[in-house]
Amino acid sequence: MSGIPELVVLRLLAAREMYGYELARTIRETTSEALSLGEGVLYPALHAMESRGLLRTRSRAVAGRTRVYYAITPRGRRRLEVLRGEWRRIAGGVEAVLAGT
Amino acid sequence: MSPKRFASLPERLLRAGVSPRRIGRLLGEIEAHFDDLVTELQASGLSRAESEARAEERLGSEDALVADVMARPELRSWARRWPWAAFVVFPLVGFALLFVASILAMAGAVGLWDHVLGIAPMNSRGLRVVCETFVLIALWVAPLGAAGVACLLAAHRRTPVVWPIVGCVLVALVGAMTNAGFQFRAIAPHGMLNAGIGFPIRGVLGSLRVAATLVTILVPFLWSVLPRVRRERAGQAPQAPRQALE
Repeated sequence: MSGIPELVVLRLLAAREMYGYELARTIRETTSEALSLGEGVLYPALHAMESRGLLRTRSRAVAGRTRVYYAITPRGRRRLEVLRGEWRRIAGGVEAVLAGT
Repeated sequence: MSPKRFASLPERLLRAGVSPRRIGRLLGEIEAHFDDLVTELQASGLSRAESEARAEERLGSEDALVADVMARPELRSWARRWPWAAFVVFPLVGFALLFVASILAMAGAVGLWDHVLGIAPMNSRGLRVVCETFVLIALWVAPLGAAGVACLLAAHRRTPVVWPIVGCVLVALVGAMTNAGFQFRAIAPHGMLNAGIGFPIRGVLGSLRVAATLVTILVPFLWSVLPRVRRERAGQAPQAPRQALE
């Protein structure tokens, strides 16, 4: 279960590049606030994924403010597929247990 | 966690081993996020004060952020991950490079005088001054420079003091083992350059060179960082609880 934030971030960034606030808002909206986390800790997670080569960044000036945009890398896409497979296996297992009770 | 409260965050992240550059970027992103949240909440009809309070809640506590950073070794700077390289190996290599560069510069100056300017090195007072300056740089300034940069970096990055101490002492000892000089001759070849390293450290001058590095670099470094170390040991800067996101 520990890879869920990573899975969510990689999946959303696989669709398009986003800056931190935009990503946090998209997580909130897409999950109907089911995933609740301090939005501040999103940044260490993003920086860590960037350090591991899963994401790349570029700075862009928007309305007088510099935004750091995050985008997924090919390594990030491979990691996304691994996490997606793990999630489906776990979810399938839980579903099987729930269906049997 | 609002920008007003960010004042203590850089210090805590530095102690956690994050590089100043990453801290700057992290703070910039969090401040921008806070501003965006306040704008969004104000647009939904909340007052400025309410929006700021809600934005703080949404960002989470500073403790949680620091704990999350500490739980991620990949966010630590290279100097914190390999302190022996940053504060022992690099200063020694830096000293060696400065030493060799000084000797090469001295050889270049002699060649310039002899072959380009056509002045016999033996007769040139200016060349003697230049050579003595390069010897001074190689024997005295190079160890001070190498140890000084390492200690400045360590103090700036709140590095545990043991590695800069080891690096500084080793640079002082190795620096004192080196020797360099130039002997002028009236006949060709017009001089003999010598440089080398030898053990043990000999004479009062050798001891003075060790002391020069330790007194001018290590003592001020310890003077500046030991109060911080004592405060940390006394528990004035408690570590944040581990509440990692992952």
